[in-house]
Amino acid sequence: MIARTPSLFSRLVAVLAVVLAAGAGVLLVAAWASARLAADEAYDRLLVGAALQIAETIASDGREVSVDPPFSAFETLGLSPRDRIFYKVVDPADGLLTGDADLAVPVERARLAAGPLLLDWEHRGQAVRAVVAGRYVPDAARAGFAAVVVAQTREARRQLARTLTVKASLMVLAMSALALGAVAVAVRAALRPLGAIEGVLAARGPNDLSPLGLAAPREIHLLVGSIDHFMGRLAGHVAVMKRFIADAAHQIRTPLTALAAQLDLLSSETDEGRRREQLARVRERTAELGRLTNQLLNHAMVIHRARSVALSPVDVAGLARRTLIDAVQQAGDRVIDVGYEGADDPVTIPGDGIALREALANLIHNAFKHGAASRLTVRVGRERGRVLLAVEDDGPGIPASEWARVREPFQAATGGGTGSGLGLTIAAEVAAAHGGGLRFEAHAERGFCVILSLPDGEARP
Amino acid sequence: MIRGAAAFVLALLLAGPARAAEVSRFPASETARTTLTIRSVADADAMAPLIRDYQQLYPDVTVVYHEYVTTALFDEVAAACAAGPAGGYAGDLVISSSVDHLIKLANDGCARPHRSIETGRLPDWAAWRDEVFGFTTEPAVIAYRPDLVPREDLPHSRVELVDLLRRKPEAYAGRIGSYDITVSGIGYLFAVYDARAAATYGRLVEAFGRANLRVRCCTGELIADLEAGRIAIGYNLLGSYVYGAMRRGARLGLVVPRDYTLVLSRAALVPVTARAVGDAFAFLDYLLSERGQRVAREQAFFFDRTGPLPPGVDGPPSLSAAGIFRPITVGPVLLAVQDRAKRARFLAEWRQSIGPEAQKGSRRAEEP
Repeated sequence: MIARTPSLFSRLVAVLAVVLAAGAGVLLVAAWASARLAADEAYDRLLVGAALQIAETIASDGREVSVDPPFSAFETLGLSPRDRIFYKVVDPADGLLTGDADLAVPVERARLAAGPLLLDWEHRGQAVRAVVAGRYVPDAARAGFAAVVVAQTREARRQLARTLTVKASLMVLAMSALALGAVAVAVRAALRPLGAIEGVLAARGPNDLSPLGLAAPREIHLLVGSIDHFMGRLAGHVAVMKRFIADAAHQIRTPLTALAAQLDLLSSETDEGRRREQLARVRERTAELGRLTNQLLNHAMVIHRARSVALSPVDVAGLARRTLIDAVQQAGDRVIDVGYEGADDPVTIPGDGIALREALANLIHNAFKHGAASRLTVRVGRERGRVLLAVEDDGPGIPASEWARVREPFQAATGGGTGSGLGLTIAAEVAAAHGGGLRFEAHAERGFCVILSLPDGEARP
Repeated sequence: MIRGAAAFVLALLLAGPARAAEVSRFPASETARTTLTIRSVADADAMAPLIRDYQQLYPDVTVVYHEYVTTALFDEVAAACAAGPAGGYAGDLVISSSVDHLIKLANDGCARPHRSIETGRLPDWAAWRDEVFGFTTEPAVIAYRPDLVPREDLPHSRVELVDLLRRKPEAYAGRIGSYDITVSGIGYLFAVYDARAAATYGRLVEAFGRANLRVRCCTGELIADLEAGRIAIGYNLLGSYVYGAMRRGARLGLVVPRDYTLVLSRAALVPVTARAVGDAFAFLDYLLSERGQRVAREQAFFFDRTGPLPPGVDGPPSLSAAGIFRPITVGPVLLAVQDRAKRARFLAEWRQSIGPEAQKGSRRAEEP
């Protein structure tokens, strides 16, 4: 069962939606700020206009300053239809000419010459926008600036800012929704090749391991390539497997046929001496068949373990010594000098102890069986970051021309006599499963050497 | 069961000359649930049909109607507003023909806002801030005695009036009446709008000054003078009151000027200090409703915005006829009318034109 993670589509769309939402949020805040500015600017003009219209009517007859606030000023202010209006007019000596005495907006006469001053103020508990406009009265008892103060509540400004913000927001939201829709469509389109791969795989027969042969965009070209590569390897493995099974069947059938023939002979033999001879041959064939079966099982086990067992620290030196001791009896009645060369200290590498032991046992067995005339040496050593397990004998060895072939199953060296031909295959498989390799060396003086070269865990960074 | 028609009138004068107010009680026909107190500058006679019809719809409300003069009402509502909802009380509904006073009160935050289907139907010029609502349509008219003014003399516009005074100064000297705008709020309002509306204002006031204008405090006195024959022509009178007098049998004529028509919309507001707020708004909605407007047109104020003029009135086909309709807008422009510098200047100019010899009636500050 494949663990189910959130779909690519929803992940992509969710990320883009978050980005779009954040962008929309920033835009909305900006829209609100600019709408407030725009509303203030629009209504400030009316406010200033009204103040100037009132200021225009300030006059002096030399003794008294008078003012006559025109209707038009109030009509201008009335253009913001709901806002309350507060105003006052003061003469240069700060005497109230008309308006609301309690309007406390400060009048800074020094700055009035530069033009009307706008400011935010609070009047009777309400936020108001106020303007102070001046008019210079030269012929008053005390010459100076008379000032007009006009303040207006902010309802129309708020209303306008709100309207503008809502309009801008609708546009921003519409654009965001549109973008999100486009994103959804684009993501769906972009993910379509994955669906195509799925379709092709699902439509395929169980034995079809040919490459997909799909055109794919750059981003998933690697994926399609990997699938094709995997298919290729699988096809290779299946082919090897088929051949192995065919060979194994053949290998088993031959001794079985021979055994059946021996048994036939045995059942019709009456002579006691020949009968014993044939019985010995039957036993031999049976043992051979047993060995073959064992090796087939071992091979299957090694391949299985290579796929399924995690590597753990293994002391290959100890393992080599124990394997050698177990194998010594195979020498039978031949006189062979069996030896071990290598460190007494543990040599530990990450590995599968059972598989390694099987590989080494097979190599030792081969040496006893086909090589070793008088000497068999197992050597454990290190060489450039690798641990070497070598089995050396003084036998004839394998001709260099056959080194490649003998690793294949059931390809025992010619003239090898009896033997299943799986020993080297198992050793090579185990070495490969450990990330190492199997190689042969032939020295004139030392003899023939089969070497398992395994990566040294300690040497790795 | 006591019908609304059985309302009785308590004519009692409250203490203090400025606080003079007549109180009319309209008891609820059923068990009274609440009492709605209306403080108003409008004839109780004019308002009574509206109040009684309202009580048909709300039979469990007792209405107490206080009749005020404008400045007294303004002072009282402003004082109550300044005292705050805890201490002050100035009735549940305030009605005034001096719309500028109500605008000032609303501008000072003394009114409660109200929105309903009825208020939504008002034209923009007849309401402000959902707080001040104009509910009548009352033109400023020229009233005359048909037997004292020959048909060919009858002025249909201000220019014709000026012209008449120039042509026959001796016939009409001392026979023209209008408001004393220094005491009459409505007179001042009409005069200010006359001055705004046309350049004829200066000539008109000048002509009035030469013709020895008789000024009175209020519409009632002007109508009484007309009926008694002390004056022949009254200028800028409230059309609704004149027409009411005609319906009661007074021998009067009424001209709606054809050059332009000033139209006042008597307005109402509910003060922040009101107690029976819901009933006040219900009454307001009634006044603005089609039913209330129909009763007002037929029994109280006789004119309306769009319909034809009432029978027997000389004037344009309707008040809102193209070009001549000059409503006194219920809005912040009226703050200019309220401006004291402007008022002082305007009154000084008026006094100068009309002259100190203007024949004044009683100075009793009785408003229309």
